[in-house]
Parts: sequence; C-alpha cells; structure tokens
Amino acid sequence: MTIEAINEQLLRAIGVGVALVDLGSLELNFRNDTFIEWFGGPEASVRLGDVFPSLDLEALSREMADGGKFTGEASFKLKRRRMTVAIDLTRAGTASEPIAVLVCQNITRIKELESMIDSYSMMVERNTHEIKREKEQVEKLLLNMMPRSAYEEYKSFGVVAPRIFESVSVLTLDFENFDKILEANDPAVIVSELNDIYTAFDRIGEQFGCERVRTNGDSYFAVSGVPDPVLNHAESVANAAVRFLRYLTRRNESHPIRWQARLGLASGPVVGSVVGVQKYIYDVFGPAVELAGRTRGRAPGMSIAADSSICDLLDSRFSLTALPPAKVRPEAPGGLFLLEEASQNEAHGVS
Amino acid sequence: MEKSLFDKYGGFSTVSKIVMRLYDQLLEDDDVGPFFDDVDMPRLIDHQTKFVASLMGGPASFTDTHIQRAHHNLEIAPLHFDRLKEIIAETLGEFDVEEDDIETVLAAFEGRRKLLVDG
Repeated sequence: MTIEAINEQLLRAIGVGVALVDLGSLELNFRNDTFIEWFGGPEASVRLGDVFPSLDLEALSREMADGGKFTGEASFKLKRRRMTVAIDLTRAGTASEPIAVLVCQNITRIKELESMIDSYSMMVERNTHEIKREKEQVEKLLLNMMPRSAYEEYKSFGVVAPRIFESVSVLTLDFENFDKILEANDPAVIVSELNDIYTAFDRIGEQFGCERVRTNGDSYFAVSGVPDPVLNHAESVANAAVRFLRYLTRRNESHPIRWQARLGLASGPVVGSVVGVQKYIYDVFGPAVELAGRTRGRAPGMSIAADSSICDLLDSRFSLTALPPAKVRPEAPGGLFLLEEASQNEAHGVS
Repeated sequence: MEKSLFDKYGGFSTVSKIVMRLYDQLLEDDDVGPFFDDVDMPRLIDHQTKFVASLMGGPASFTDTHIQRAHHNLEIAPLHFDRLKEIIAETLGEFDVEEDDIETVLAAFEGRRKLLVDG
C-alpha cells in the first residue's frame, strides 16, 4: 500500500468529519467516512449551503478571500440526537483552483454537558435560595426567644455566656382574679385576649425601650437595659407601665372581660443568659426581678407599685404616693409607692 | 440523618455521568426513544438531570401533580414504563450502584407508575 493510500484511509477513518470545498461553486468534492455518516454520502446534496443551512455563506466567502480561515458552529439531527459540530475551514490549493479543507469536530457532548451543568446549577441555586429563606425563618424564630446580641453570640460560639447587668429596670404585671376569668370563659377566648393584650404591651414597650422577657399565663415580664444598656431605664419602664394601664382602661370600655392589671416596678442588678440545652430560652433573673415581683404583689388592681430602688431614679414627671406598710409580710427597706404619671402642672412644680 | 443515595455515590460528580449515560441509552432505545424525537436537547437534558437527581434524593423533587401534568399528553403504555425501568436498572448497575440501592430507586419509580401509564 502506498503512503498516499494509507493517508487516504486514515483521513477517511478518523472521528473528525473532513471534506474539501470548491470555493468557486461552494460544493463539496470529497467527504470522509465520518462526514458521510453525519451528513450523508453521494445521495446527499453537495452544496455547502444545503449541508449547513445556518452558515452565512457570504461571510464565509469574504473570510476565505481575506485571511483564508473561517470558523463556525452547526447543529443537525442524527437519528434522535441533536449533534453539534465546530466547523473549521482553511483555504488550500492554488489561485486557479481555490479549495478549502473543511474540518468538523464533534462537540455534541460538550454542549450536552453544558446543558446539564446549567440545569444542575439552576437546581442548586433554587435550593440555596430555599435554604436561605429557611435560615431566615429560623433566625426570626430565635430572635423571638433571645435578643439579637445574644443570638449573635450563640451563632458564633454555640453558647451565650451569662452576663451581669448592674443597673436595669424591671416591669412585671399580672391580672387580678385571673382564675375566675379562666373559669368563666372559653380557653380560646382567653388565649386570644391575652395575645391581643401582650402584643399591644410589646409594641408599647418597644416604643419606650423595654423588651419583653417572657409571659407565663397571666404574668408579663419586661426589662429595660438588657442586653443593651439604656440610660434612662427607670423612666422607660415607668412610661411603659403608665401606658399599659391607659391601654387596658380604654380596652376594658369596649370588651366584655375587664382585665384588672397589677404592675410592679423595681431597679437593680440582674443576670441575663440563655438557659437550656435543647430548649433555649433567654432568661433574666436576679435581685431586681425578685423585687419587682414582690412589689407587684402589693399593687391594687389597675395600679402600679414601685419599689424605692426605681423611685430614686425617676424625676417629677411621675408622682409617687407612699403605700401603707404591709401587715403580714416584711416591707422593703425603702418602702413602696404607687406610681402615676404626674399632671402637667405637677411636673412643672406648680401647686 | 441518613445519607441520600445522591451523596452516597459521590454527589453530582457521579450523578452527572449517570445522567449522560441514561440520556444516551434513552435516545438509542427504540421503545422509549421515540418519545424524545421532538424534544429539544437542553430540555431533555434538564429533564434527565432533575429526574436522576430526584430518584437519588438529590436537590430536586417533583410533586405527583407535576409529574402527571408533564406526561399527560404522552401515550405511555406499560411496556414503555417497564423498558425505562430496565434501562434505569442497567445504567445504575454500570456505575456500581449496590443492588439494594437500585431496588430502592426502582421501588420509588414503580410507585409513580399510575401517574404515567395510560388506563
């Protein structure tokens, strides 16, 4: 076998489609086996434009005349599969006999893989988006259970170290005759009422720099100064307490259940920390909380009792009336006071 | 949490090979291939990628309604469904998926038969 014959056999057998194009007529002169397998043999058209309908023949002729190189891409169907080839034309031959070598590389698999990666990345992006949304929901939920700074600490270190807050103010509240209200009403009604009231308290508290720590049945407990320091924390809880009562008074006028709240206020040190391993809860406890609870016990319905620890921190915008000493329990050393908002005149020192 | 088959067999790296192999097999098969005669390549690849990922517990899942809606125009006979099941089993076998896991995948596939097969 001659070298030429071997060359021709090789050319025919390689997995790349090869053809020779007459640049004058833009017709194919020679096609190797792979080319024939893809685009048909003698039975198929020899016109370049018929074989590759998407090719811009004018551009091709221009490129051939200029630099003698042209590249492009074409797709066709082979049985059911969409095939894609990269086309490469290189001018060869002489000026009197202008021909070009047409080489077609099969890039079908690359295109298929590209499509698969597109599809997969879209899937992953969608999932990432969903995970992000879920994460935000979890975060929102956790932020309902603990202050943001505690949450950030928990996220970074997995624990929240207990912190002592030296000077904060505490507000506690409960309702008189709660057990009787429970007996007389449907539980769903009670829950809905408390939900309504506590939501209003939360909103009022937030307005004045107080944060609710927890509720437990009819007891509501909020602080000012935990975990972020609040300069006038005593004023914050006093303002909130006054408005809680004002809100309830107005609400009671139009609702069948007349809620009679008792409030206790105190100032002093507390500890703030996440308590629990499986069930996290950010809790605040300590002397000021105890004091506020005991103080609340002395408040008549629809009034605010304040311990002397907080009274010392309040100015004339609040009027304080000493409560008579308790008969049974030992009284707090500084005494207890009924707190009200001072009228405009009193606040300005006019008698 | 139990590892999904998707993770167990190497995630997308392996699943991508399974998808391509399945794609080849489906197009070459004269029973199920004709269903894909007029389906554009990117759409079919997208479909196969999600199909394999969902079969193996990867990042895709389809509701029954979705599957039903996507196939309601096709006249799928029991023969077609059985053939596809065979192709899936063969393809997974080629990639050394354990027998038990292939059974799990096929059972999940079989569970959807009513959504796809006519009558």
